[in-house]
Amino acid sequence: MRNNIFLFILLVFLQIFVLNKILFFDYIIISPIIMFLILFKYNKDSKKSLLIGFLLGLLIDVFNNSLGTYSIICVIIMYFRNLWVLKVVGEERADELNLLSVQELGSFQFFYYSFPILFLFYSLLSFLESEIIISAENILFIILSCFTNYIIMLTFQYLFLKFNFKNEWR
Amino acid sequence: MRNLIKFISLYNYSITFLILLFVSGYFLINENFILKTKYFNSSNYLSGSVFYYQSSIVNYFKLDEKNINLEKENQRLNEKIIRSYSSVKEDIDSSLNLDYNYIKAQVINNSLRKSKNYITINKGSKDEIKVGMGVISSSGIVGKVKYVSQNFATIISTLNTSFYISSIVKKTNTLSSVNWNGDNPKTLKLLYVPKHIDIREGDEIISSSFDSIFPKGISIGKIKEIRKDVNSNFYDIDILSTQDFYNLSTVYIVKYLLVDEKVQLEKITDEK
Repeated sequence: MRNNIFLFILLVFLQIFVLNKILFFDYIIISPIIMFLILFKYNKDSKKSLLIGFLLGLLIDVFNNSLGTYSIICVIIMYFRNLWVLKVVGEERADELNLLSVQELGSFQFFYYSFPILFLFYSLLSFLESEIIISAENILFIILSCFTNYIIMLTFQYLFLKFNFKNEWR
Repeated sequence: MRNLIKFISLYNYSITFLILLFVSGYFLINENFILKTKYFNSSNYLSGSVFYYQSSIVNYFKLDEKNINLEKENQRLNEKIIRSYSSVKEDIDSSLNLDYNYIKAQVINNSLRKSKNYITINKGSKDEIKVGMGVISSSGIVGKVKYVSQNFATIISTLNTSFYISSIVKKTNTLSSVNWNGDNPKTLKLLYVPKHIDIREGDEIISSSFDSIFPKGISIGKIKEIRKDVNSNFYDIDILSTQDFYNLSTVYIVKYLLVDEKVQLEKITDEK
């Protein structure tokens, strides 16, 4: 548990001070917090998850001079994800899962669950930061960022969550 | 009442979502929201201090680059002094700029990829920094002070779509405005230059001093491309910014000493 808290703080720190300032290859933003929002344990109608999403977004906003941007995105993502996971795995199974990770869901189901969330996250980010709804550059940014973050998310899970996913992140 | 309580308990999850959505939306829409001014920007004590330590580490690795920039600045200032000895006009210009004081500050946080970019510096109200003061560097205009705390200040950068600079075309003395359209960080837009004015690519754009923020003559950029839009009385002009925001480390806050007198006089004139 302590390791995961340390890992979470490290990811938030990385997001705020390093990754938020870098646009890789002009189109890619790496966001560790989306990984946290995707993996977070599902609880039916959990107000706690909404609040955690809001506070996490607010924390990033404070350091990013973007008050409202990340908080609104994180709240929407948390709400959407809590509905989407029910569609993907069903309520009974969702309740049983400790972590909505690739190890617990399986490769195909994890892709089916996480990719629409990534897509929504980067679409909202692109719209709120650039104030342009549709442009070729924004679409490229969304697609490339989604794929890159998906790969990073898988790598992270295989590296750090392989052996300790039971009864953790609760 | 019972029905209301029943309704709330039944939909408390959705209600929480809507409340949080509303609060976040309110933060997002209200640019000058008082909480944002006081706590939620990178000039507050917490984030300002963290960025200060971060930049002191990063700056250590940029010392070579800083030295080169300082040498260039030194050379430019030396040339200016030599010119001022030989030119009476230059003397007059520099005496006009005595109305301004400059406070040196270090950039501790700088955003570049958004449409509304901000910069955080390590000087605040205790160094007499006030909201609305202009910020320049050795390469040209940087922005305007937006929020101030005791030790830090946040600057609305030239790379912010809501920031306009009062400018003139140096060759023709034509009054105009400069704004960024959110695309390329090296390219700005020069606005309101009428089509009958004779301008060419490469013409220099400088600050006008009409807005009481920047002294006259601070470099903004050079004309890169001129397009004659058929449906408008003005040119569509792209300018190449002289400011390199990717390597910005030292800035100067412009303190216009006569600002109160000027504003008061203009206010009286407007009233009458």
